[in-house]
Amino acid sequence: MMNYQIRLIFRNFRKNSSSFFINLIGLATGFACAILIFLWVADEMSVDKFHKTDKQLYQVLENQAMSQGILTQEYTPDLLARTLAAEFPEIKYAVAVSPARMFGNFTVSTDDNNLVKTAGQFAEPNFFKAFSYDLLQGNPEQVLSDNNAVVISRKLALSLFKTTENVIGKTFQWQIFSVKKNAVVSGIFEGTPANSTAQFDFVLSYSAWINLSEALGRNIHWGNHAPQTFLVLNEGVDVKKLNSEISDFIKTKQTGSNVSLFAVPYSHQYLHGNYSNGVESGGRIEYVRLFSLIAIFILLIAGINFINLATAKASKRFREIGVRKVVGSGRKALIVQFTGEAIILTFMAMVISILMVWFFMPQFNLITGKQLHLVLNAGFLLPIVGICLITGLLTGLYPALYLSGFNPLSILKGRPSRSSGEIWARKGLVVFQFGISVVLIASMIVVYRQVQFIHNKNLGYQKDHIIYFAKEGNIVPKLPTFMAEAKKIPGVANVSDISSSLVGNPSSTYGMNWEGKDPQANINFEVMRADVNLIETLNIELADGRSFSDKFSDENSKLIVNQAAIDVMGLKNPIGQIVSYNGQQKQIVGVVKNFHFQSLRQKVNPLTIIYDPNKTMTMMVKLKAGQEKQTIAELKSLYARFNPGFPFDYQFLDVAYQKLYEAEERVSALSKYFAGIGILISCLGLFGLAAYASEQRLKEIGIRKVNGAQITEVMVLLNSDFIKWVALSFAIATPIAWYIMNRWLESFAYRTTLSWWIFALSGVLALGIALLTVSWQSWKAATRNPVDALRNE
Amino acid sequence: MIHLNNIDKYYDSKFQRTFVLKAVNLEIKDGEFVSIMGPSGSGKSTLLNIIGLLDTPSAGEYSLYDKSVLDLKEKAKVDYHRNFMGFIFQAYHLIEEMTVYENIETPLIYKGVKSKDRQAMVADLLDRFNMVAKKDLFPQQLSGGQQQLVGIARAIIGKPKLLLADEPTGNLQSVQGEMIMETLKALNDEGMTIIQVTHNEKFAGYGKRIIRLEDGIVRKDVKNV
Ligand SMILES: Nc1ncnc2c1ncn2[C@@H]1O[C@H](COP(=O)(O)OP(=O)(O)O)[C@@H](O)[C@H]1O
Ligand SMILES: [Mg+2]
Repeated sequence: MMNYQIRLIFRNFRKNSSSFFINLIGLATGFACAILIFLWVADEMSVDKFHKTDKQLYQVLENQAMSQGILTQEYTPDLLARTLAAEFPEIKYAVAVSPARMFGNFTVSTDDNNLVKTAGQFAEPNFFKAFSYDLLQGNPEQVLSDNNAVVISRKLALSLFKTTENVIGKTFQWQIFSVKKNAVVSGIFEGTPANSTAQFDFVLSYSAWINLSEALGRNIHWGNHAPQTFLVLNEGVDVKKLNSEISDFIKTKQTGSNVSLFAVPYSHQYLHGNYSNGVESGGRIEYVRLFSLIAIFILLIAGINFINLATAKASKRFREIGVRKVVGSGRKALIVQFTGEAIILTFMAMVISILMVWFFMPQFNLITGKQLHLVLNAGFLLPIVGICLITGLLTGLYPALYLSGFNPLSILKGRPSRSSGEIWARKGLVVFQFGISVVLIASMIVVYRQVQFIHNKNLGYQKDHIIYFAKEGNIVPKLPTFMAEAKKIPGVANVSDISSSLVGNPSSTYGMNWEGKDPQANINFEVMRADVNLIETLNIELADGRSFSDKFSDENSKLIVNQAAIDVMGLKNPIGQIVSYNGQQKQIVGVVKNFHFQSLRQKVNPLTIIYDPNKTMTMMVKLKAGQEKQTIAELKSLYARFNPGFPFDYQFLDVAYQKLYEAEERVSALSKYFAGIGILISCLGLFGLAAYASEQRLKEIGIRKVNGAQITEVMVLLNSDFIKWVALSFAIATPIAWYIMNRWLESFAYRTTLSWWIFALSGVLALGIALLTVSWQSWKAATRNPVDALRNE
Repeated sequence: MIHLNNIDKYYDSKFQRTFVLKAVNLEIKDGEFVSIMGPSGSGKSTLLNIIGLLDTPSAGEYSLYDKSVLDLKEKAKVDYHRNFMGFIFQAYHLIEEMTVYENIETPLIYKGVKSKDRQAMVADLLDRFNMVAKKDLFPQQLSGGQQQLVGIARAIIGKPKLLLADEPTGNLQSVQGEMIMETLKALNDEGMTIIQVTHNEKFAGYGKRIIRLEDGIVRKDVKNV
């Protein structure tokens, strides 16, 4: 029976190869899309979940009450971890970590001048007990107990020592900012897996970090929030209760503190990392949900199309069904036959889709920035088989039940008439599919326009032709010499140095005070430490006053603010006014126009730029256009004169800027694919429906043609039926698309406009595509010899 | 075998009732060969379809071997189709996607006959109809007469007691028609009960009994000697 059916299916395939192929490809595309999204979602859900302590592993976050609202952040006092662990029996152990992303790259070197720049962090002794980064060598209880202990990844061991054998006990030097220290390897770990948010190559003991604080001017007290705090709770601890207990913990240590604490599961944060006014407000989970929804939609459309095409084809087989019934086939046998056929087809589609996934995986990984693999194990194959069976059953059951229910006699006499429900279902399908296409096209255009907007937005500074690199090694003590030498290079327009990289997160303070400030108000100011020439190097526009300059001797007591700061301070004539910055009296000498030093998602925050070349970490060089290569080579040799043996790692500011919008770029790239696939599948669906419709009207078309109708007239007749419904779907989809895109754009403080033409264009595109698809079928129907059609009856 | 008592068949439209069959009484015994004749639209096919359980009468009684077969459940009907009767159509109604061999084999599959037995039975029939060489061809590759032979083969492979043929020669040239009629006659000689509808006087003559229908009424019912 099986054998016999497979043979029949293949014969059917050869006979209707084009429609069979379309149907198969449509379903396979849907499957492939769903599989890719499923893999992506599964990967997103797995992030940070690999720790064996996952169920007990929590991170302590802070809610800081500010005038602008509650700010939620992860940096906590150094003392928090150990004090909490000591005071709360619910806590098994606690770990303070100064994460790698606080530092940029360390410079790590061995005596034989093996020099590597890589990410590292400082962590308290329980780190490898709390987190499951596979420790290959060393005792998790002890590896981080010594002041100068360091645990390195297998990769770092290989690049520093060329081996992982007998590395324990070896020494190397590490350097961050201007500090150089020795560390002794106490353990080797496997490295951080791709689905870990924390990425680092070595872990130094936390006491080494504490010992550095003096050199870095860092104070350790309850008001300084620097490391992350992680907790491993005892099993069965009621977290709600614990949270209510620790909430005011910092306030008991420091009177007047505006900070309250709460613990959240560590692995929860990757997807739910956003807080608005102290309340969890989504995060990447929104993309996970959105993409899951898209996957379900695509699967649904592909499935419905498949069912639809299959039933349309099944009605061509009415006669066969009639005959089979007359020669003694019961309904059961017919149902088995049709569902069997459908299940075999879905499995074929699944096999094709797996090949597609395999083929598109590298491209998909490129777009999503993931390292997904197709692993054909039970966990993957079982749901797939399930989906195949369900799709197959649904696909087969409908025609089987519907067609087999007819009286064979009425079938053999001619086609039974369609129920009105079925006609509505098919029209509904057209409306639904093209509605989704319109939404997808409109979304694609809007996302693309927003990305273009980000690219072209006047940021208030010029990001082009600027490179930056770490201010390190001998540049630190000889900064003025380095700057003077660099300026001598003909291709260099300007040189300065700054605390961070400009793009990203500068530090912030609420220690700004000025005359007339509400003493209760906590207002957050972003802080940028800068050298002379910074404003000139970046071409930031001055609204008033002056920039820092070496013409003045006392720049340390001056500061520059942006207009947003002036707005919150409410100063009428800011220039010359004295304000207090963390207790130091400083005079405002300049006001810069607002420039976007943060993501365009945010409004420009109040900013204060202080003159503090001793604490800058990054060199910024503006290059003259046209000779960048040459200039960079010269900078490199200048750098090498100061730091022999150091690799010269530089970045372009505009590239870094783009990285800020990696997520948007990805969404933009993905939205193009989704729109393409959505349209493709909708077209396949429409193609099938049109084929079905013209098949149904074959006789009518034949008679019309015999009576003198022209091809164009027949085509208009067939097309107008569909176009009506596509137009309706446009009317329904436009407000939906508008709503969704408006919501998405609202997540940007600075955004492109939603013009009417975007929707008009989407509608015209969808309509044009629909017209092409339907015309293909109408043309085939209209040009057929009418005699064939009539004889067929 | 067949007992029809006062069978009416009518269709109701808005204002009137149209009778297709009216007060038909008919008794057909095992081994008979009946030809039904009559002008187009006189209800021949309707009568045959009622006998074949493809259609139901509007009024009257119908029993097979003294068992009423009105109001049969779907399952019981399928059973009759599988084991008791076979059909031959004017338009052959072969399944285009299947070969000659497979078309003939289909009823056996539904009957649940084992694959080995099926092979033997189909081979027998192919041999009998001289179609062994054509077994792997598709219906479209055969002449009309050959297609109808396949139709007959399919109808009788399950060894039915009753063979119903609605204008089996309607689409055929006379030579081929004659061949079909000879085949039916041979089957009847072997004991199969046959009811055929035909327009052709000569072919009707193959039957042992001729029934003439006019406007749904049996006008004549004569033995043919
Ligand atoms: N579903 C129906 N509704 C109304 N009239 C019908 C229907 N089916 C058949 N008829 C009528 O029944 C009559 C007999 O048809 P049929 O038995 O096929 O005649 P024959 O086979 O003798 O040519 C015809 O006049 C036909 O129009
Ligand atoms: Mg007839």
